[in-house]
Amino acid sequence: MKARLTILAAAIVVASAVPVVAHHSFAAEFDAAKTVDFTGVVTKVEWMNPHVYFYVDVKDPSGKVMNWGCEMGSPNGLTRQGWNRNTLRIGMMVRVEGSAAKDGSNVANARNVTVDGKKLGAASSEATNP
Amino acid sequence: MRGRLSPAEDNVQSTEPSPRSLKSGVSVTPVRSVRSTTRFLGLVGASFFLLTATMINLIAGQGQRSAPAAAQGGGRGARGTPNPLLSQPAPRLPDGRVNFGRVPGELGIWQVPYIQNMGARNIVMGAPPASAGGARGAVGGQRGGAPSEPWVPFQPWAAAFYNYNSLNQSKYDPEGYCLPPGGPRLFATPYPMEIIQQPELKRIVMIFEGGTHVWREIHMDGRPHLKSEAIKGQTWLGDSVGYWEGDTLVIDVVGFNEGTWLDYYGHPHTDQMHIIERFTRPNKGTLHYEATIDDPGAYTKPWTVAWDIPWNPTGELQEYICQENNNYYNRLTDDFGQPIVGPRQ
Repeated sequence: MKARLTILAAAIVVASAVPVVAHHSFAAEFDAAKTVDFTGVVTKVEWMNPHVYFYVDVKDPSGKVMNWGCEMGSPNGLTRQGWNRNTLRIGMMVRVEGSAAKDGSNVANARNVTVDGKKLGAASSEATNP
Repeated sequence: MRGRLSPAEDNVQSTEPSPRSLKSGVSVTPVRSVRSTTRFLGLVGASFFLLTATMINLIAGQGQRSAPAAAQGGGRGARGTPNPLLSQPAPRLPDGRVNFGRVPGELGIWQVPYIQNMGARNIVMGAPPASAGGARGAVGGQRGGAPSEPWVPFQPWAAAFYNYNSLNQSKYDPEGYCLPPGGPRLFATPYPMEIIQQPELKRIVMIFEGGTHVWREIHMDGRPHLKSEAIKGQTWLGDSVGYWEGDTLVIDVVGFNEGTWLDYYGHPHTDQMHIIERFTRPNKGTLHYEATIDDPGAYTKPWTVAWDIPWNPTGELQEYICQENNNYYNRLTDDFGQPIVGPRQ
């Protein structure tokens, strides 16, 4: 299983890539400069308001497994983008691109989620209304 | 300077914000306890902003200008094709009034844009024209605070409060707590809404998917507002009475509590706020919204904001129950690192 986790420098993050979250302050919780890009196995899905969360076991290069919580948009917004509560299921291998929490916890705002090679759009409502 | 709007029968006389004022957006105990700290931080922040406001405002303006045309109710669709709805007249009801909703046999919702900064939509006091067009405000963190918005007639405490919210990137935004939008923010929180006219019942009902899942009843039967002591500070969305001026629907709103902000950026208001909204539908595809904010508790004179809201002819409302699992609120900490909810450490 290929797993990777990359933290990139602030300088390469352009302002236009900052996701917009209507429900709460993105910048208060997440650091747009701490981009994450990891692949792992879904362990839990919370299809709930105001944000859908799912959790992923990610193995770092040393083999250590960390569980990441990933925040997406709201169920209504995701539904309009073609999601439903069964789009993500436990055991699926997914790639998550997004921004990490400011407090250093293993929580990320998911900007893109890729399942079975298919990118499922701007889950964090970066480009569209949430 | 313009005079005050005629009071809506209940305007209060005090110019000092009531003790509830600073609850605005910071209604949770650990934050409320730092009211003076809040103002102090805001004043410190203001000096910083004075140095950087110009540059930051330029950045913010660019953010506004990059807004997608479709979200502005603009003339072109996603692929650059003209939106045919913009050349069709507004529908009308059998009684001849403009229909602000659907017509039989068709779907449709108002696609409320995401306007993060109401100050950039002030149409009467010199806000840069570039800012007036964009649907989105600047991205979080790139803010100039009150010094960057000389066209917003802040009272000093309101400016400090706004600067504080700018500095902490709106972490105490009431909408983040799943509380409703304040006044015109109902039309700036990016979830769809519908306007349902019932002339036979002398009322108009507005239902909002965001905000969340809230509704307003607009009394069209000519009644006055409730007397001041009965309504002052009592409601989140206000007491709404409406009337027609030709094809313009005018709604007079009072009775707001102080639990909301005017926008995501954190423009405050008090329970003295009196809003006059003006709705027009210049064509089938556009709702033009205008709101005059008259709040002598927070601003030195009335100011007016306006924007267009595009019609989505295939949209329908969906469910959105914000309170279900608000992890943001559950994890939020105050300025001293203590949890907003749950036991302090």
